[in-house]
Amino acid sequence: MRLELDGEACQGHGRCYSLTPTLFDADDQGHSVLLEADVPAGQESSARQAVESCPEGAIALHE
Amino acid sequence: MSETTALPANQDEQSDEALTEGIAAEAVGGDFAAMLAVPEPQQVYAGIGSAPIIVMDGNHIVGAAKSVDTLTRSHDVRGSGALGNTQSADRPLIPLDIDRPEHTKYRKLLDPIFAARAIAHLEADVRTLADELIDKFIERGHADVYDEFCAVLPSTIFLRLMGIPLSELHYFLQNKDDLLRDIDGETIAQREARYKAAGKRCYAYFNRVIDEREASGEPGDDILGRLMTAEVEGHSLTRENILDICFLLMIAGLDTVAASLSCILSWLARHPDERRRVVANPEMWPDAIEELMRWETPVPVASRTPTVDMQVGDTTVAAGTQVTVLWAAANLDPEKFTDPLTVDLTRRPNPHYSFASGFHRCLGSHLARMELRAALDQFHKRIPEYQITPGSELKYEALPVRLARPLPLSWVVPG
Repeated sequence: MRLELDGEACQGHGRCYSLTPTLFDADDQGHSVLLEADVPAGQESSARQAVESCPEGAIALHE
Repeated sequence: MSETTALPANQDEQSDEALTEGIAAEAVGGDFAAMLAVPEPQQVYAGIGSAPIIVMDGNHIVGAAKSVDTLTRSHDVRGSGALGNTQSADRPLIPLDIDRPEHTKYRKLLDPIFAARAIAHLEADVRTLADELIDKFIERGHADVYDEFCAVLPSTIFLRLMGIPLSELHYFLQNKDDLLRDIDGETIAQREARYKAAGKRCYAYFNRVIDEREASGEPGDDILGRLMTAEVEGHSLTRENILDICFLLMIAGLDTVAASLSCILSWLARHPDERRRVVANPEMWPDAIEELMRWETPVPVASRTPTVDMQVGDTTVAAGTQVTVLWAAANLDPEKFTDPLTVDLTRRPNPHYSFASGFHRCLGSHLARMELRAALDQFHKRIPEYQITPGSELKYEALPVRLARPLPLSWVVPG
């Protein structure tokens, strides 16, 4: 399972790094930084939550 | 009526269609705001969002989540600035009224100042302030919580962020009201004149503060000071740039958090079982706040203007057409939210539109979330049990910002 972040689409809502800080961090501007593209075992539901929580649809999950 | 799109064909959906058309008809009349100025306007907004786009008498209204996404995620769309300057300001407010590519430059400067991590250290301050405000009314057993808590808390934080003395609070609150409130019976010309006069006072005030700081040679390490020393692409901001940002921060920051607090406290006053659940489990606050922001949508509406012809549902929106975007309707779209007309304080995911979407995402969203969390948690630690004061009537304003004012709450004072 692989996460993909569209940095152009990210507007810095910060939902991903608030809700799933093990997978995402923030840069200085508050935009998202993907920490773990390959979703570690046991974090699949967190990854899905990050995808579904993004107001911009900026995160994709490849199963 | 000139046109509606994607009218549902089957019988069950006929009532939705009628509702949508009825609401759209109201939208161009004067009663729309009155229909929404109630404790539960959600059915009205949900009706509007059930069509991809409503086109009536030249007005384009979009409430369905998918249509809102189409408009706000495009690079070929302008924000509110396409309609003119917010609150009749002399120049476009930065960054609200400007668009790409200029917008991107200013957001690179401003986003770090308002990033979640950058404002986190203020939380203790907000909690202390909340406690100080509560101290003033808790023993009384009742208060207009709008006036004594919701309005004062974010404005005080704003003054601290800007490095302006707290003694100016009432001056700013009065100017804010002059800039943002509608007054019954006032003509449009009178209202514009009032906006302009209040705007000029604010510009003159900030101008004077900047003069003083320049004269002293100490810009300060608050936001105003940071703007005075900031550079965008190697150039310092001009005096006008700084003033246009200050005015935006004031217009956007003083009223919206106050409004959000009032809507949320009013909802919790009317739903004691849900409130008790959160009070017993304060770790629920972040999700509960997201859900009540979705439900209440304190900033319900925005304007977007495509710069190219754009397909929305079955309708082609011509370049240059102003479209009214209803975040409040998109927040109730069943295609986006499971069971949207139910308030679920544990809802996740909750990709709501209450801080806008697209490149005009609310600059202060992280500050707002922190202020709401700190203020609400602190309020409920001190006053967990309260009600709308018996015999008083709740009053809501719907547009441009939804708020409950006054907010008469009462509680039992022990012993």
